[in-house]
Amino acid sequence: MIAIRDLRFAWTDGPFQLQIPRLDIVRGEAAVLAGPSGCGKTTLLNLICGILSPAAGLVEVAGTDIGHLADADRRLFRLRNIGLVFQDFQLIDYLDVLGNVLLPCRIQPSVRLSPALRERGLELLNQVGLGSFSQRPVTRLSQGERQRVALCRALLLNPQLLLADEPTGNLDPDNSRRMVELLLQESRRSGATLIMVTHDHSLLPMFDRTLPFLQYLARTDGTDAGTSA
Amino acid sequence: MNSAFYLAVRSLCWHRSRSLAVIFSLAVIIWLPATLRITLNQFRSEISARAVSTPLVIGAPGSRIDLVMHSLYFRSQPATTVTMAEHQLAAESSGVTAVPLHVRFTTRSQPGVDGAPIVGTTPEYFTFRKLTPQSGELPALLGECVLGADYAERSGLRTGDTVLSAPRNALNLAGDYPLQMLITGVLARNHSPDDDAVFTDLRTAWVIEGIGHGHQNVDRQTDPTLLLSNEREGAASVTAGLAVLPYLEITDQNRDSFHFHGNTSEFPLTAVLAVPATERDRVKLLGRFSGSRQLQCISPPQVIEELLSIVFRIEQFVLMFTLAAAAAALLLLGLVLNLSLRLRAAEMQTMFRLGCSRLTILRLQSAEVLLLLVSAAAIAVAGGLLARSTAAALLQQLLL
Repeated sequence: MIAIRDLRFAWTDGPFQLQIPRLDIVRGEAAVLAGPSGCGKTTLLNLICGILSPAAGLVEVAGTDIGHLADADRRLFRLRNIGLVFQDFQLIDYLDVLGNVLLPCRIQPSVRLSPALRERGLELLNQVGLGSFSQRPVTRLSQGERQRVALCRALLLNPQLLLADEPTGNLDPDNSRRMVELLLQESRRSGATLIMVTHDHSLLPMFDRTLPFLQYLARTDGTDAGTSA
Repeated sequence: MNSAFYLAVRSLCWHRSRSLAVIFSLAVIIWLPATLRITLNQFRSEISARAVSTPLVIGAPGSRIDLVMHSLYFRSQPATTVTMAEHQLAAESSGVTAVPLHVRFTTRSQPGVDGAPIVGTTPEYFTFRKLTPQSGELPALLGECVLGADYAERSGLRTGDTVLSAPRNALNLAGDYPLQMLITGVLARNHSPDDDAVFTDLRTAWVIEGIGHGHQNVDRQTDPTLLLSNEREGAASVTAGLAVLPYLEITDQNRDSFHFHGNTSEFPLTAVLAVPATERDRVKLLGRFSGSRQLQCISPPQVIEELLSIVFRIEQFVLMFTLAAAAAALLLLGLVLNLSLRLRAAEMQTMFRLGCSRLTILRLQSAEVLLLLVSAAAIAVAGGLLARSTAAALLQQLLL
């Protein structure tokens, strides 16, 4: 599902450098990227979903070299093939629950909101137990309910890859565990590959694989990459 | 609905206080200079049209603007009057139709209804101004009058009713006395000051002024309460009762008793409208009165042009300040929108990360700005239409 070869990426204004000689994640796998906050996990996620472009190397997602796609193609590919769940879920306050789930259809002219997609949105909400909340403002939802809305939004277009960027970052242990269970359950139900970023090591056993993220870090100032955040 | 507009509408509704504040601020910025311009243009065209349709006005020396305002709009009062002799002089000029005006009184005000000017004139005035009765007929006899459409509407008076003139000084018992006039008709509306006036013939106007009068028999045969005492039978000294009418009324019974003392050619007029048939007649008439110290003959279009040049200068002044205020308000609104967009940076970032292009994000923001502008423009247009129907009349009242 994901094939990374000789990937190099560095920020121009800092010592951070990412080097991944080889990384493969198979279809349907649930992998976790663990490491302290700010160590660059999100950067790798952004490289995989095409928000960032690598300085060198190959990032292939579902057989497409996403790093070398034109900007418009990359955005469309991301929207159609990759579901994103953000830290704090980043729901839009002025849209109701269903409106947030259907947001991907509102921001890309080539993805039209159809009755079938609306039906799919409602079905996803039913699956996570929010079917009766579809018209409710998201500001009136609990943290757990907001998690589920964010997940439904990520799953709307049947993505092959689900990327979750520290979705448990601000949650208590119980809610963290519930969120991960929900992610795993829904990704397995839809057959999507899941990569989740977390700095909570207690969640790692729930995944199929933990990626050796710290091995990928290199620093231009010569300090030990593995211990720096 | 287009997605950009859908999101824009939802966002504006969600931030409704901010949206309303921005919309109303923008509406005022658009409305104020536009309405000022529209209103002044309307005022200019209305006042000019009336002036252009009145070639010449003859009146007593004094303020030219006051004379025009008086003879065209029945507003100010000239300090002195002219006489029927001057009217006769103008009427004798070849190719000139002279229309006398006597506008010194108003009808009596009622609660909530201000009095209207009573215009004493001749039938030529109705022909000259193309005034025709919508109901009833033009006054033909002494003591009759016809109402302008607006005055009839606001006073609720109709054909067959009566209307009282207001004395200029209620304490002057020897002065003018209220006259109760019979309304013979209501004029069709012609969107001019004539709509808010009461027209009667010159002789009735002079009766109101006290120049003409009738006699009432104060005796016990007519009414036993009219005469309280008459100590010396047949003598002129009588004591009248409260049943004596506190106003004059000209009826079929007493009409013949009304008469005028003095020389008719010395009876007062407040102005004479002169309508020359040709340009040559006009120049001749102007020449005839140009050397007179007792009279002035003026061309209303010229006077109105002078007045409008003052209005134009004021307009430029007001417009300049309005635009400066609008520019300041726009800068503030720009700041508000900018701060608002900064507050929503996380939302935009989310959309971008989901796959939204920067161009689409710009389109979303533009849709919001466009909706704000359209809403503000709609309110400004509605306000403009409302102002258009009232402001020109209000301006006329304030300026004339």
